[in-house]
Amino acid sequence: MAEAPRNAERNERLAALMARVALGDQNAFAALYEQSSPHLYGVAVRIMREGSAAEEVLQEAFVSVWHHAGSYEAAKSQPLTWLTAIVRNRCLDQLRRRELDTVTMTTDDDDGKEFDLPSGDPTPVELLLAGAEAQSVRNCVETLEGGAKQAIALAFYQGLSHAELAEHMRQPLGTVKSWVRRGLERLKSCLDRSGYVRS
Amino acid sequence: MNLSRPDRLQRLDALAAEYALGTMSPRARARFARIARNDSNVAAAIRNWETRLAPLAEGAPPIAPPPRVWSTIVQKLGLQRIPGNDGPWWTRVAFWRSFALTSFAAAMALGVTLFSPPPPVADQPIVAVLAGPDAKPALIATAMRGQRAMIVKVVGGSAVPAGKSLELWMLPTGAAPKSLVVIPDSGVGRIALPAAPDAAFANVPALAVSLEPAGGSPTGAPTGPVLYSGKVERFY
Repeated sequence: MAEAPRNAERNERLAALMARVALGDQNAFAALYEQSSPHLYGVAVRIMREGSAAEEVLQEAFVSVWHHAGSYEAAKSQPLTWLTAIVRNRCLDQLRRRELDTVTMTTDDDDGKEFDLPSGDPTPVELLLAGAEAQSVRNCVETLEGGAKQAIALAFYQGLSHAELAEHMRQPLGTVKSWVRRGLERLKSCLDRSGYVRS
Repeated sequence: MNLSRPDRLQRLDALAAEYALGTMSPRARARFARIARNDSNVAAAIRNWETRLAPLAEGAPPIAPPPRVWSTIVQKLGLQRIPGNDGPWWTRVAFWRSFALTSFAAAMALGVTLFSPPPPVADQPIVAVLAGPDAKPALIATAMRGQRAMIVKVVGGSAVPAGKSLELWMLPTGAAPKSLVVIPDSGVGRIALPAAPDAAFANVPALAVSLEPAGGSPTGAPTGPVLYSGKVERFY
């Protein structure tokens, strides 16, 4: 309902492709990749902050999509939502695993080159507002308090954990945690009221 | 810990939110993912949050991945080489390769039989049976050599989504697809050909149907995915 018509059209197109990918249609798979990979790579690069790691996530995600397209349920989520969730979760799993590993292993600084985002790439808060704008729910993000807004935006677009947020925002861990928790509760009630989520 | 108990639903929702956002510590994240695998309520709570959050990612400007990502995917999956960013579908080898098989299977499935003895030239048919990846006939196009017309009829395939049209294209060798007709909602259409079928289809080995915005492609070239395709067969 709150969705721009252009999004609706794209989602329909991607859903048709997903259906054909589930049947093992390689051309549909190529078309799905063409049409969704720039968005998904953009998400992965901002979280992984490293081109090669983001490429790896994208590869693994599409290998998994080819095998599991049949488990995508059009009634439950939009195709791009499903794909984005796969990519984000893989990014987060990798980052967190890496965090665990660095406790016991020495960090290898030459491992990957930092990805240079285009200069003038919007800040996480700007990205969050733009995303909400595209879904006609900008007001839901705008009503978040400053700290909550920034913490959620940083976590969402850059994959920061509670601990990393606290460090980055120079705030006690407890403060950041409660910003995030309260912000998410508020976001949920506003988004759900707007009819933005179908369930 | 049974997170699905009613008195814990609020706690479950808060955890699902933090999982979907990604702020959980590494160990908590791994533990919660494990619980979700065995508890469908937990999995559903996570999915609801992903549905809320993922669309917000569309605020980020897209960035094209390097071409090697697609080559690696193709290689890992052992797919035919599909040039990912190498022009539209009708120029791709893989399309023509898979299409040869499906159109043959479609003709078989339809039980196409040859006439014997051959009919007079004017009544000799040119037929294309168009099918999707399942090789089941979806649309049949027929022309008689003596008439400057082609009849198309939808005989199967999936329902056309609201606000969409099917458009039938000639796929001439070495040239861009040429629109034949936007298939009417009735599923049957009659097309006036620009020339007698022999000339009109001289250089056209195949037809295809793409999914387009209602009323047909706004650009004159296919814009949506190709749903069905089939070889032009001459029964003479």
